[in-house]
Amino acid sequence: MTVRIWSLAGALAVLALLIALPDVVRGYYVALATKMLIFALFAMSLDLLLGYTGLASLGHATYFGVAAYTVALLVVRAGVNSATAFPAALAAATVTGVLFAPLALRARGSYFLMITFALAQVVWSIAFGWRSLTNGDDGMPNVVRPDFGWSLDNTVSFYHFVLATVGVAALLLAAIANSPFGRALRGIRESESRMQALGYDVWRYQYVAFVLSAFFAGIAGALYAYYNRFVGPEYLNVVQSAEALIMVILGGAGTLLGPAIGAALIVYLEDFVSSMTEHWVLVLGIIYVLVTLFAPRGLIGLVVEFRQRRAAK
Amino acid sequence: MPAQGAGAGAIADRRGRGCSMIWVIQTLNGVAFGMLLFLLAAGLSLIYGLMKILNLTHGSFYLVGGYIGLTVMRLTGSFVLALIAAAVAIALVGAAIERFFLRRFHLDELPQTLLTFGFLFIFADLSLWIWGGNPLMLNEPQIFARSVPMGDYAYPVYRLFLIAVGLAVAGALWWFQEHTRLGTMLRAGVDDAEIARALGINVSLLFTLVFAVGAALAALAGVLAGPVLSLYPGADFEVLILAFVVVIVGGLGSLRGALVGALLVGILDNFGKAYFPEFALFTVFVPMAVILVVRPTGLFGRR
Amino acid sequence: MMSENTVPFDLTIAPHADEGPARRCGLRAIATAGVAALLFAVPSLAARAAEPIKIGILVPLSGNFAVNGQQTLTGLKMYFDKVGNKAGGHPLELFVEDTQGKPDVAVTKARKLVQGDGVAVLTGVVTSGAAIALNAFSRDNKEPLVLSGDAGADELTMPGPLVNPYLVRTSQNGRMVAAVGADWAYKKGWRKVAMIGSDYAGGVDVNFAFAQAFCRLGGKVTQAEWPPIDTPDFGPYLTTLDRNVDAVVTFEPGADGLRLARQYSDFGLKGKLPVLDLYAGLVYEPNLPQLGAATLGMYSALFYSPMLKTPENERFVAEFQKRMHSLPANEGPNGYVGAHAIVDAINALHGDLSDKMKFIAALKAIKFDSPKGEISLDKYGQVIQSMYIRQVEMVDGQPANVPIATYKNVDQFWPYTEAEFASFKYTYKDSKNSLTDCARLLAKN
Repeated sequence: MTVRIWSLAGALAVLALLIALPDVVRGYYVALATKMLIFALFAMSLDLLLGYTGLASLGHATYFGVAAYTVALLVVRAGVNSATAFPAALAAATVTGVLFAPLALRARGSYFLMITFALAQVVWSIAFGWRSLTNGDDGMPNVVRPDFGWSLDNTVSFYHFVLATVGVAALLLAAIANSPFGRALRGIRESESRMQALGYDVWRYQYVAFVLSAFFAGIAGALYAYYNRFVGPEYLNVVQSAEALIMVILGGAGTLLGPAIGAALIVYLEDFVSSMTEHWVLVLGIIYVLVTLFAPRGLIGLVVEFRQRRAAK
Repeated sequence: MPAQGAGAGAIADRRGRGCSMIWVIQTLNGVAFGMLLFLLAAGLSLIYGLMKILNLTHGSFYLVGGYIGLTVMRLTGSFVLALIAAAVAIALVGAAIERFFLRRFHLDELPQTLLTFGFLFIFADLSLWIWGGNPLMLNEPQIFARSVPMGDYAYPVYRLFLIAVGLAVAGALWWFQEHTRLGTMLRAGVDDAEIARALGINVSLLFTLVFAVGAALAALAGVLAGPVLSLYPGADFEVLILAFVVVIVGGLGSLRGALVGALLVGILDNFGKAYFPEFALFTVFVPMAVILVVRPTGLFGRR
Repeated sequence: MMSENTVPFDLTIAPHADEGPARRCGLRAIATAGVAALLFAVPSLAARAAEPIKIGILVPLSGNFAVNGQQTLTGLKMYFDKVGNKAGGHPLELFVEDTQGKPDVAVTKARKLVQGDGVAVLTGVVTSGAAIALNAFSRDNKEPLVLSGDAGADELTMPGPLVNPYLVRTSQNGRMVAAVGADWAYKKGWRKVAMIGSDYAGGVDVNFAFAQAFCRLGGKVTQAEWPPIDTPDFGPYLTTLDRNVDAVVTFEPGADGLRLARQYSDFGLKGKLPVLDLYAGLVYEPNLPQLGAATLGMYSALFYSPMLKTPENERFVAEFQKRMHSLPANEGPNGYVGAHAIVDAINALHGDLSDKMKFIAALKAIKFDSPKGEISLDKYGQVIQSMYIRQVEMVDGQPANVPIATYKNVDQFWPYTEAEFASFKYTYKDSKNSLTDCARLLAKN
């Protein structure tokens, strides 16, 4: 009980801090915080698939990138209103998930990693190769932010917009995770065969989880397109997918909060380390290795373990 | 029709004399590139086939192996020494990675993938640090540094050598797999590690050995590909993706699959680029996409 | 200037004209006041004089463009070091950030430099993607941006939607080099060429500029091939090349250039068909020693050659070789010139950068001699410089790009006037597949 009150109070405090952030720090850090929020959502969406359903995907950036490209294509090529492009982007990401899920779900384990990676590469090659549509490697600049009467060009107002959107999405994800559906997913993660024996249509649960994770990744992708006002093939590449995996693992898979923290940490570290040294890629690689070796259950896992050990005394 | 403008007319003009020669050259090119792809993919397929490890560090083994070969070549002038040095050095690195890092996560694919990805980053930065960012060209051995005249064109002898090497390596691997004791143990280890161990086979040592051999194959590919593809930052990622395309098309864990897949991709890519330049990039990924939908385990794969 | 810190002369210190001790007292007081005034004023003077001017440098130092970034940075630092890291009476402080070759990172780092470190000007920028993103940032935040890296997107300095009063470019642009190449090619007697261009915006820009200028003179491009970026094997492109031409014109930067140079020779084309390498991607300085004889005889067009025999350049090359152990290509001189422009502008304003438009005006007014040749800027802030046609020859046993022709005062619209340039109906953006169609290339509005 006390834990729940503590976490509720903590959550409210964090929320208050987040809302008030622009008054406390300089514009540069507000922009960084915006990026952290976007990637927190991206990581949380992957957690639904990885942490809850037990499916490790090496192609999660696909849905992120498809949403981003949809925004860019509609706004830049078709002149569609930026706010209208948002739901279209979500639809595109979800449809991609619907199409890819049956292909990917033919496999499990490392082959699932392989297939999701391969599907991601196909989409990447379209973005990279279909120059007349996507400008290929040059990417698509001039992505305009939505205008809801008040302009989002300002760093602070955009931050609040992203905070609100990510907040709502996170609440939805939490609701899904804590619902009977979410509990079934966790059962499937533990043992597919047992759940099958209990009468659950395992494949259908995995399918829905896959599509949902694509949907939420799409939200993050569209937001990132607005954030950068630019979309390029790097949104879709394997490095982006692997980074999402590390964010989830670093924070703690299966906790939703963990991946959010992991994402914020990775975004911050990348920025901080790259200002310190040009060898930030080396540092990042070492972090990947260390996290995998010593914190397979992530930061949240470490905290839980610490508490358990204390309780045991 | 190739490119635009008078190219098409030029081809038509030479019909009967040059046209067949162009087909021969395109085919040779496709096969040579395919052999290169085979060397790239063989190691990856081998490691996956036995250990179910998706080795993303494969790209680094290729690039760093190539760089080491380049340095040895510059110091000694010997291509053979370069090949040996690269293979041995990278085999040791691969063995170390398997023994001290990957083994802890036997059959746990997510940490294995993340570890190998972390190493990919580490090696990428280290090689940029050591060898710099300029693309570096490995020089082929002098005896192959010529071109054979073919009609109006010439064809580099080195690429013919690559075809020969590819076939030789394929042959050696096949013979090893089918006709040696080690190969039999390998196949036993693939089928059922528990029983293999119970039969007295040192499966752990086998795994390390296989990983080292897979890594060495990648390093050899790096040195052999050097004169054609050159070595530069980013090559590790590009090669990794190419290798994946090949094993997906051919089927993971199958040597025959790697060879057939590589040749298929190489030839399709070559003819595609020559005759459908608009779709230059897709020629590599379309076969993969088709296989994923139609036959996800690949042409000769078994899960 | 010293007003607020000077202790005012207080005549009441010596109230009575008592000649003896009072006078001494008064004199002492005056002296004390004077010394105090000096003590207050000098640190403040010194403080203001010592206030460093901060310069933000944005270049890729990791990833695929790391080497271009490193060379540009070396060039920048070389000039700043040459003037003792001082300008306009102020010390210069350099802040270097790694853009990783990505536009979003470039903008993030720019924001950090401007808001966090308080830089007065941003410079560097190698990739065009980063340049376009930073251009928007510079315009929206009114931050002076001096493009001293490779980023050559034409539109950044031409009237149009991207134009930005806070931007100047001292490095290059896509079309200048190609247009000069076309002129030289025609004068050489070539009338039909085939083109191999890297398939991205920069490649299309360059090849279009060549084709259009070549057509205008009476030449014709008979074939245009577009290998994608990172093509491993140019075999398919080389074997389907139209042989019935006078020369092959190429634009292939990076590893693609190295590979094409080697494979051009491998497939037996060297010596059969001359090559004009726009922007020296194939005969890039670091490639030459590796390729040996494969590049001998290749022509290239660029705004620089390390073999230029001017005292300015010889000094530059010697110093560059000391630092990088290799000959400079285009990035080093570009960085050097960019730093020179910034320093000259700061000097012209005596270190007072408070008025940004004045700073930009001072930048646009620069004119000096450099390793590249004479440098000045046009009214849009784009560099006016010399172009060189070079040929690979053996010099002291090593292949080198020796200049064989010079074009002076080439501006961004060369060979057209601005009005003539604007009168063309089609731009490079919608012309990738029509480089062989002279009528369309020369069509007017």
